[in-house]
Amino acid sequence: MSFTRRTLGKMAMGLVGASCLMGMPAIAADMPAPFDKPSDVKIALVRYLSTGDFFQAYLSGVEAQAKALGVDLRVLDSRQDAALQADMVDQAIALGVQGIIIQHGLTESMKEAAQRAVDAGIKVVAFDVNVENDAIPQIEQSDRDLARLALEQAIADNGESWKAGYVYVAGIAPLDRRNETWVEFKEKYPGIEEVAMFGTLDNPIANSVANQARSVLTANPGIQVMFAPYDEFAKGVKIAVDEAGMSKDIKIYSADISTSDIAAMREPDSAWAATAATNPAVVGQVSVRALAQLLAGEDPGKSVIVPPTLITQKQLIDNDIKNMEELSAKLPQFAHADVAMPAWMPNPNE
Amino acid sequence: MTLRDIAIRYGFIALLVGLIVFFTLATDGFASPQAAVFIFQSVAITGVLALGVTATLVVGGFDLSIGSVATTAMMASAYVLVVLEQNALVAVLACLAIGVIVGLINGVLIVYMRVPDLLATLGMMFLLVGLQRIPTEGRSIATGMTMPDGSVANGTFSPAFLALGRHRFDFFIPSLIPVSVVVLLVLAVLIWFFLEYTRFGRMMYAVGSNPKAAELAGAPVKAYKIWAYVISGVFASIGGILLAARLGRGDIASGNNLLLDAVAAALIGFAVLGAAKPNAFGTTIGALFVGVLLQGLTMMNAPYYTQDFVKGVVLVVALVFTFALSHRGRS
Amino acid sequence: MSVDAVFRIAGLRKSFGPIQVLGGVSLDLHAGEVAVLMGANGAGKSTLVRVVSGVYARDGGTITLEGKDFAPETPADAMRSGVVTVHQNINDGVVMALDVATNLTLDRLNGTGAKFLFNPRRVRRQAREVADRMGLEISLDAEISELSLADRQMVAIARAMAHEPKVLILDEPTSSLSSAEANRLFSVIDRLRQEGVAILYISHRMSDIRRLADRIICLRDGGISGTFDIKPLDYEGAVNAMLGQKVDLGQVAVKDADRTVFAATNLRIAPGAAPFSMELGDGEIVAVTGLVGVGKTALAETLFGHRQPLGGAMTLRGKRYAPRSTGEAIAEGVFLVAKDRADSGIVQDFNIYENMSLPFLSRISRLGVSRRIAERNMARDRIADLGIVCRTERDEMSTLSGGNQQKVMVARWMTQPANLFILDEPFQGVDIAARRDIAAKLRASAAGRATIIFVTELDEALETADRILVMSEHSIVGEHRNADVDIDQLLAEIAGRSHRGAA
Repeated sequence: MSFTRRTLGKMAMGLVGASCLMGMPAIAADMPAPFDKPSDVKIALVRYLSTGDFFQAYLSGVEAQAKALGVDLRVLDSRQDAALQADMVDQAIALGVQGIIIQHGLTESMKEAAQRAVDAGIKVVAFDVNVENDAIPQIEQSDRDLARLALEQAIADNGESWKAGYVYVAGIAPLDRRNETWVEFKEKYPGIEEVAMFGTLDNPIANSVANQARSVLTANPGIQVMFAPYDEFAKGVKIAVDEAGMSKDIKIYSADISTSDIAAMREPDSAWAATAATNPAVVGQVSVRALAQLLAGEDPGKSVIVPPTLITQKQLIDNDIKNMEELSAKLPQFAHADVAMPAWMPNPNE
Repeated sequence: MTLRDIAIRYGFIALLVGLIVFFTLATDGFASPQAAVFIFQSVAITGVLALGVTATLVVGGFDLSIGSVATTAMMASAYVLVVLEQNALVAVLACLAIGVIVGLINGVLIVYMRVPDLLATLGMMFLLVGLQRIPTEGRSIATGMTMPDGSVANGTFSPAFLALGRHRFDFFIPSLIPVSVVVLLVLAVLIWFFLEYTRFGRMMYAVGSNPKAAELAGAPVKAYKIWAYVISGVFASIGGILLAARLGRGDIASGNNLLLDAVAAALIGFAVLGAAKPNAFGTTIGALFVGVLLQGLTMMNAPYYTQDFVKGVVLVVALVFTFALSHRGRS
Repeated sequence: MSVDAVFRIAGLRKSFGPIQVLGGVSLDLHAGEVAVLMGANGAGKSTLVRVVSGVYARDGGTITLEGKDFAPETPADAMRSGVVTVHQNINDGVVMALDVATNLTLDRLNGTGAKFLFNPRRVRRQAREVADRMGLEISLDAEISELSLADRQMVAIARAMAHEPKVLILDEPTSSLSSAEANRLFSVIDRLRQEGVAILYISHRMSDIRRLADRIICLRDGGISGTFDIKPLDYEGAVNAMLGQKVDLGQVAVKDADRTVFAATNLRIAPGAAPFSMELGDGEIVAVTGLVGVGKTALAETLFGHRQPLGGAMTLRGKRYAPRSTGEAIAEGVFLVAKDRADSGIVQDFNIYENMSLPFLSRISRLGVSRRIAERNMARDRIADLGIVCRTERDEMSTLSGGNQQKVMVARWMTQPANLFILDEPFQGVDIAARRDIAAKLRASAAGRATIIFVTELDEALETADRILVMSEHSIVGEHRNADVDIDQLLAEIAGRSHRGAA
């Protein structure tokens, strides 16, 4: 690609325009330092994972909250390169940022880098990665709560006694945490009979899970409930249930949500009854807010948990919700979490 | 024919029959027309890809890009349907065009730029994995999605397109055979006939076995090689269409598992009937073999990691069959 | 010329299984002298070189170096004793991934007493000494892969010379060099000769031999068939001794061509080669003979459209003939049985009938669908016709003997009528019976086409052809009707004294 002077000029204009917009804080007067002069505040988001709807939405939440605060946000994306991610923390230190959000990553590679940042006087929060540092608050979406909400709905819909198929792949941290809740529920409700457990992460995941689920349904025609606590799993199960013509006999309960999940749940006679989800954009907002609290000298707490929301098929149909934006607009509990929300904190949704 | 010859020729088929008998006895519901159809359906997409890669194996090449061609075609069809709001025919044509273009580029890179086949198609694989993310900035495509510019995509997967993944033809039992299985069988018969019974297919085998001899026998070797990659690309894009129609959305995916399963099926195919060379019939049987195994194991509640292990075992055994045979041929 | 030989081989024998390759070879090498060893393919040259350079152990005979027994166990052993060999394949003599300096001193890295640590400065100093002694004008920093073939050859020789050899063996060193590059090599050889190295130079390029030879030794069928050391050297005699001649003339009932089928005018097939013209008539078999590397295969491939001529024009049955691909040539009825059948003829995965039908599938097929029954019938006819020994037409090629494989290759092209039938070394690796069968079949079926065969062995030409053309330096330099051939004149032409007035 060749850059002409004109295109360069256009790009420069665009950048100036963008920074003008960014540079206008919502309210400045009653903000604690350093947010009384927010344009001087530089924060960095250091990412390990970035591709996929979840991470896109997370980023948009981070950007929205940063914009609401009026701070200067730098996004450093290591694209699943653990060593690079650690280097990027050092890069952020060199950039002179006051705060860093570490988004995912490996404990082994990030622990020391995070400590270096703390040593350099930088405030750090971490999302979904344990950097084993007391100075660094953890932002978490509660996987146990996700599983609990979905399973409570399953009990509410189907009673305390049913045959279940369960989709699970061990060794993936969030899935392992969701599994703990499933195990607890099975103990609590002895009427729940797990007749089949399966799962795979071969991509496209939905396609591979659909293949497996078809076999499971053939081998176990009595299954009433499928617990698929990851939306890709649920999608695959739904395809298999539809293909087996069993969509009226089986209900699927899952975790996470996306626009295409909403469409799948809204289909006529959809077996997908409910899902519990944390809005990734809200998690992004909370990450920035927790960091802002630290910078303002407040303590957000050792662990900041973003509560999940239960979304049922009925809600989606009754409210005519077709995509994530409408979900945020029509289910306020999904759009905003009252977490890390001191009085001075601007709400990006308003 | 010695016992050894019989073992090499019919060993794999016997193994397949044995597996089917075993699963029939060991699980409920394995031996039903629905289960049989379903096994075909579970391997339809990788089977189609495997038939494509067979064409490149025949000319002595290899195509690592098929998995990403399939997922790129899946994204493209979703993009055409949902974002551009076009009909199913346009989506299918767009996918086939992608297959042809990628195949041509692969072929030209390998034949004229002299890039080794593995490297050229590896490069293409990365290129496509990246390319499929560019139009939507890394988002998956579904109806109602928000585009990078903030607008909402309102197109839908039209019923005609979804029918490619969901419609079932009557065959003794109403609504039995899904479109994808019919596509697999039709393509398998087509490519089998093409490779075995047309002069073009025979020439492709000659090109793969001894390109110099083929050229001195008057064959346009370069053209045959490029055609093989075009076939591979088109088959992979057909696989992508079936994938999109089944999933009903455009998922970002590298397609590496599709690639590996397809290659495994094609390599297992070497061992079927003692062919010791890439062949369409063997590839189809190879894909079915993997399908029977995986579905049977899933019905027996075997965890997913045992399935990869079993796939590996099957592939190694198949390669031993092939190797033993070619060893005999040479001695 | 010194009286005592530096290096003396006497009664050297070497067999591989039941096949005797060297049957009592004796030759002497003298200091400050270039002895050229000539020999056709299969005469035993490479075996001789490998025994002398320590790759093979000898079965019998003696080798002495400066009067002492010389029995190297490994190539390194031979090298340390002062007998250094530069092998034919240039790239075997250099290590691609390393620079010139390291290549020049490579052997010192392995010998006893080599230092554990690699000291680039020491290596550079030693390499500079080696390069200066040879007058090597190549940057020591250059990577081998950046060098021309000639420069690589120079490095390989310089590396060999670093051992200060008493005997240097060069195995066809110019086979991949241009004439300018070869001249640089010759001046290096002149210099080594002055320094008193005994050189054994293996080649059948007559221009090299004329330029360098002090003495010519001819090897044929594992024995010395002639030694020429009286100046001026008798080059024709040497060629004669190398090729041998045990032909009963008049064996062939020579026919004269009726009509011209193929004609070439002012054809030029290599840069710097003289243009030539030729005509091939209906029903006649023309043999093109000449030493290895004089352009026979290039001419065969040019006629077949596999290579484009650099100049001149061709006509076939009176019409312009300029095939741009082998496919076009075949469409015009020009067929080639290529040399090295394993390499460029046989499709190993195909059985006999599939191999035979390969070029004509489009003619046998209907709507692109091949008709196997027709193919098999055609193959059965050919098998009977040429007396191919096999069980059925579905046998694998690997089950056939060399002669029968070659018959399949010839049969492949005889399933359809040809205008011009080209055979490049059709008798290579073929037993005498199969060779007679093929020749007889060619002669019996010759009517209606022009046939041209390319052979290095003179016997094969004399046995098969009606007319013999001689090739030298990528051009045709002589023509003989195969009746009362003036063998002396023929050999002279093969040896490069063309009728263009060079002699």
